[in-house]
Amino acid sequence: MEEPTTFERHVYKNASVYHYMKISLDLENGKRSFSDAQFKQLIISALKELYGEVGAAFPFDLLKFDPSSLKAILRVYNKGLVKLWSALTLLGSYQNEACAFRVIQVSPFLLALSGNSRELQFGESLTS
Amino acid sequence: MSPELEKCPRSLLVCEKSNFMNEKSRHDIHVSKHSFNYKISVLIPECAVLPANISGVISNFSPYYLVRDLPVYELLQEKSYETVLQKGTVYAVSYNTKIDEDNSIALLPSVVTLNLRDKTLAPGTKRYQRVLSGLKDRLPLRYDFLFTEHNTGGDEDNSLYNLLSQYKPIEHKAVLSHHTLKNLPCPTLYPSDLQGTTLSCDPHSFLEWLGAVNLDISCENAADSFLSTYICPEPKSSVSQALLCTITGFISPEDVYLLLQELRYDLKHCCRFPERCFLTMTKLYISHKLFFNCTSCAHRKYFDEPKFTPWLSLTVHGFMDSPVSWGATEHGFLKGGENFYNLVCFKNQDYWLHMATGAHDGCPP
Repeated sequence: MEEPTTFERHVYKNASVYHYMKISLDLENGKRSFSDAQFKQLIISALKELYGEVGAAFPFDLLKFDPSSLKAILRVYNKGLVKLWSALTLLGSYQNEACAFRVIQVSPFLLALSGNSRELQFGESLTS
Repeated sequence: MSPELEKCPRSLLVCEKSNFMNEKSRHDIHVSKHSFNYKISVLIPECAVLPANISGVISNFSPYYLVRDLPVYELLQEKSYETVLQKGTVYAVSYNTKIDEDNSIALLPSVVTLNLRDKTLAPGTKRYQRVLSGLKDRLPLRYDFLFTEHNTGGDEDNSLYNLLSQYKPIEHKAVLSHHTLKNLPCPTLYPSDLQGTTLSCDPHSFLEWLGAVNLDISCENAADSFLSTYICPEPKSSVSQALLCTITGFISPEDVYLLLQELRYDLKHCCRFPERCFLTMTKLYISHKLFFNCTSCAHRKYFDEPKFTPWLSLTVHGFMDSPVSWGATEHGFLKGGENFYNLVCFKNQDYWLHMATGAHDGCPP
């Protein structure tokens, strides 16, 4: 049995290496089928369109992708966050079909994305 | 390329380690001051079924009420003031109001900007009348509210419901869901190494892994994978099974504390002397599932095979649109609304506490 620990407190400021984004893709004519690789390729092409071949050359991860809702979770190094976010915002079409990325939640903690209280709904119509 | 493009808002994480038995331990204060809790997530490695005592505590969580279109001045009426608010165990937060777009209201049991327990705001005083008429006539705010009150078991437990009855409150219970994860890569944690300098992984990597487990994100990726390169942090081991249990609703800090106590009790009594427990364990079959009954500590084991979890984790997410995080510390949304804490409890009653809030929020306590 280890000895009981002594009190310690640490405050980490800007120590997180990554940011995490929860996004969804809206297409003008409703849903269409995407594979996870196609979805990531779409984001990469949006980055290249805005920042060029060199400016878009930074890594990000597609941690999770749900093909039915076209929702995804991305992980990106902090210094790529603004570029990735702006490229997502400015993407306007996919194969001549109007589309838009919605950014639902962005956090330096992946854990924060698992507890979104805005998802608390009671399945009844709201009074105005 | 402009360097501005590579900047991002600050992030803030406060980590503490201590022992539950330590007189000066502040875990109870941190739990009690985090008033508006939306979701609890418990992860117990080496556990396959939800222990009966834990599900018992969860099913006894106080209900919460959704009240539509409630005028704010109702909270200050003399009747509500005397029967409910003065008791100091009522929590209310406006529902479906986004703090970055709308006005949001939260009723804290102790301290608010409009301090309802201030003597100068007692019914009958001039100040009370002025606030009441202001909210009634000049600024007639109405919101949907969520209410909860910690059940103390007394006769007055229905007072909140009675008070709200004319607004047709809808009662809800916190929703429990749980499932067993198989063959989970799991970071190895040593209670003495909170910062992850030698034995454990660092706090950010641990919270990332915990997020991945909660969001069902795979951490078995190749280093050259096109989609994702995320892997479980080192040092790690594989656990054959782990129980992930989530509770969603409007949960009072008192209920969070009761759950924490029960989890601690299980860790302490079932895992402290595993060798002794083995000697006195008897097998027990319930619904075709195998349990071990420990007769020396008169307590049922977590495990359907003789393995013992060295730690378990309790994560509590606050409402992202709550105007406060801990106590009266201001909270905003900005881009993610982070407002959570995580407790890792070890079997020797040591614990780690991680607290995180948003980029522009006040520092956690």
